[in-house]
Amino acid sequence: MNESHPVVFTVLLFSILREKVGRAAVDVAVPAPATGSALLDALEAAHPAVAPYRPVIRLAVNQTYVPESVRLTEGDEVALITPVSGG
Amino acid sequence: MHEPLDVAAADAYLRDARCGGLNLFVGTTRQWTGTRETVELAYECYEPMAIKEMQRLVDEAKARWPIERVCVLHRLGVVPVAEASVVVGVATPHRAAAFEACRFLIDELKVQVPIWKREHYTDGTTEWVQGAQPPRVEGEG
Repeated sequence: MNESHPVVFTVLLFSILREKVGRAAVDVAVPAPATGSALLDALEAAHPAVAPYRPVIRLAVNQTYVPESVRLTEGDEVALITPVSGG
Repeated sequence: MHEPLDVAAADAYLRDARCGGLNLFVGTTRQWTGTRETVELAYECYEPMAIKEMQRLVDEAKARWPIERVCVLHRLGVVPVAEASVVVGVATPHRAAAFEACRFLIDELKVQVPIWKREHYTDGTTEWVQGAQPPRVEGEG
């Protein structure tokens, strides 16, 4: 991976985030080194509607919950999970 | 799945000669929440992750209790009042473990599995339900 260029991730959005942003998926360019929190910062800058939900968002990478400190790899499937309400 | 959940089929699947206890939880759409009347709920899901999380919870339950049979089903899309949105069933040799494991599975499903419900009220308004925040895992965030 070339460290000098940002990496683009497709971020999946659901429920209220999908509605607030107006799309089910958005591409986000994350400066290297790409971490979960860098991705959230970049996403929030591009889509301010996400900001109010930042404290409750859990990050999922490749369909597993991960801490925001996670190091992202090109091609990772990233999803933002607001507090779930199944059942 | 988007079709109505078949509780009888779940019950039949959970019957097992090794088991003396079968606990079946059925979650349904409630009409009244305080003073607000619900017409229906609509569920959205991040399906591949939901399946993975359900499997992870089942694996965890199996490691903790002597489970012979287990099922976890969730309906997606519109679920009208009084219809089932979720079915969790556990069969174990003795009843205590069946109660405990079933409770564990539905409680964890409600904080871990990426499914979201939207309330559709009789006054025409709709609202995404934000669930409880899970306890912070050490090292998370």
